[in-house]
Amino acid sequence: VAAEPAAIERATRPSRLVRATLPGWRREQGRDFALGLLPALLVLAAITLGPTIYLIVTSLTPLDPVHPQSATDFSDPAGNYRALMADARFLNSLWVQAKLSAATVALQLAIGLGVALLLNAGSRFLEAARTAFILPMVLPPIVVAVVWKVIFTPDVSPMHRALAAIGLPVHSLIADPGMALWAIAAADTWEWFPFTMLMALAALQMIPAEPIDAARIDGAGRLALFRYILFPYLRPTLVVAGLFRLIDSIKAFPLIYVLTNGGPGTATEVTNYYAFVESFNFSYWGYGSAIATLMVAGVLLFSWIIGRLGGEAEPDE
Amino acid sequence: MTLFGQRLRRRQLLRAGVAAAGALILPGRAPAQGGAKPLSGTTLNIACWSSPYAKLLTEYVPQFEEVTGAKVNYETPSFPIYNQRIDVELSTGGSSYDVLNVTFIYIGRWIGAGWFLPLDGFLMDPQKTPADWEPGDFLPGATAAFRDPAGKLYAIPWTADVYMAGAGRYDLFEKAGKPMPDTFDEVADTMKAVHMKDGVPAFLPENHYGWSFIPWLQGFGGNVFRDPPEDLTPVLDTPEAIAAADFFAKLLHDYGPDGVISYTYEQVVATLKAGRANYSPNGQIFLVQMGAKDSKVASTCNFSMCPAGPKGRFPGVATHGWGIPAGSKNKDAAWQFITWAMSKPMIRQMVVERGYSSITRRSLIDSPEFKGKLTVNGHDIVKIYLDTIALGARGYMKYRTIYVYPQVDKQIDIAIQNIASGQMGAAEAMRQAQRNSLAELQRAGIKL
Repeated sequence: VAAEPAAIERATRPSRLVRATLPGWRREQGRDFALGLLPALLVLAAITLGPTIYLIVTSLTPLDPVHPQSATDFSDPAGNYRALMADARFLNSLWVQAKLSAATVALQLAIGLGVALLLNAGSRFLEAARTAFILPMVLPPIVVAVVWKVIFTPDVSPMHRALAAIGLPVHSLIADPGMALWAIAAADTWEWFPFTMLMALAALQMIPAEPIDAARIDGAGRLALFRYILFPYLRPTLVVAGLFRLIDSIKAFPLIYVLTNGGPGTATEVTNYYAFVESFNFSYWGYGSAIATLMVAGVLLFSWIIGRLGGEAEPDE
Repeated sequence: MTLFGQRLRRRQLLRAGVAAAGALILPGRAPAQGGAKPLSGTTLNIACWSSPYAKLLTEYVPQFEEVTGAKVNYETPSFPIYNQRIDVELSTGGSSYDVLNVTFIYIGRWIGAGWFLPLDGFLMDPQKTPADWEPGDFLPGATAAFRDPAGKLYAIPWTADVYMAGAGRYDLFEKAGKPMPDTFDEVADTMKAVHMKDGVPAFLPENHYGWSFIPWLQGFGGNVFRDPPEDLTPVLDTPEAIAAADFFAKLLHDYGPDGVISYTYEQVVATLKAGRANYSPNGQIFLVQMGAKDSKVASTCNFSMCPAGPKGRFPGVATHGWGIPAGSKNKDAAWQFITWAMSKPMIRQMVVERGYSSITRRSLIDSPEFKGKLTVNGHDIVKIYLDTIALGARGYMKYRTIYVYPQVDKQIDIAIQNIASGQMGAAEAMRQAQRNSLAELQRAGIKL
């Protein structure tokens, strides 16, 4: 039996003592590698870490560009965060965000998986269908928003007219505080279910044929086949896809900006949008940075979880 | 001579006049012998929000380029996008733009922070401003908004937009035996009488309630701040403010089209012109478009002054003007653009050729051309325009140039949406707006 590569690597890795006695040319080689990497690492740090650090530093000030001196006012570094904890609009935005994220992730996973199962076969028609389903995802987000603005404006909407024609008139969804968020969730799902569909399709096509054939021979029906064979194979992929969509849902912006502007009232004002309003409508850059910093922390947490789950999702040896 | 021939000749004459004026208003800058143009090689970056004026000007900018040789990059994004983008640009000391619109609600902030140049130096220099350009011809009420406490002028007003009322389907009013309403009570009564007649919803203001609701707020005896600019304490939770919000939101809820609170100013204009909504209290710059050739209600529209409330009539008067940002790299060329755009021949051309209706030069307001264009479907809008500007001189619009008004403006938007959509009662929504406005102003460092 061939040894596992990892085992070989472990067995041949030099011990600390051996590394200490490496010949000079090996140490120089390592140093040269490090020096070669350094410029790229510095550039990477400058363009990724730099702005993030600036964001965090700004969040510790009451920066407002009308008062440039406020950029260096660190007299109350926790002030913005303290104010956020007492800001009902911010707290409401977290709740709105939670509802939007839960709805969009659940819908996109369910619809993406369902469509992937339907399209998981080899035929030219299905290949063409796959391409068609991907279209919403590749459209510019602002175009998607404009398309749904038309659909959700009763005065000009083909959807509203069609529903009225069959005796099922509905009022404006984006002006109804009980429906506006779900209207945005529907538009977001239309745009992004192809992502989960693609991931599920890729995972489906990696499943070996033997267990499926064996289950069929044993008389498993479609539901049992999905529950006991397909789903266990798909689960790690769906978890990762769901977490990616969760992170992306936190960045929701164009649909809300175009469709509802955060309204009616604050019914669709998610945290991201609230940060935008505070930063760019009111120019409270310090306060907006504090909101953004909390969002970055949340996204980092989710990224870490994705990393962990991604590791766990590796196939068993 | 045919009508077409007459029109062509008239247009040619106007254009020739503007071209000549373009040369004349640029003293010492007229094309040099040999064909060199004064601004050859200069690129001017100019932006304004997508008002009807700004869109019209797009068609005339090539004339400026032709006369001066300058290349002009001209943008007209929508109102909120313009304001957000320019606020960031100015606050970061950017130098991307040479000429910018000074937005009414940002006057206090942008001028107060020193982000625009005073124009007095240009105006007093005969090498840069010819005597016949007549800066004194602009409506004093419009220019006053762009002066700092020391009296320096920072922008040349291109509009004095007045809040009035228009009915696209006035024929439905007539059928119901109702004239154009003159009071809030008459508005409610008339909307009830005409709502959904012929399938047309009765009431449609734009959803920027920080503009469209304020005349109703003040008409009920309320206000935004206690005594601007001295006392900036918000007063959105007074009994008068709550009563006004309740009344206005009921009009929206009961007589607005489906989704009324989602209608932006551009949607409102399109809906009115298509005859899919009837009565709108709004800016005259938008309402007169009901009389345009492409409007389905050109022959049925009517207009009136902003209706009066129990405490009087408080129509909004908004002015916007061209200014030069402090970071501009082409300040002299920028001033040449402004003097060209705001010259009498240029504005006259826009009035005559395209019916531009919101002008700020008194000599042109009094001209037969303007009066002719501002008679829409037989109704004299010039009188409404001048009477409203005269009312505005009483000073009740001071709230709107306060530099923190945009923050309160947003709270008013949210409150009216909350009431009209049934999420909150008027008292609860206005108290929330008051609390949030106080928090926003304190965040801005204002001691109340």
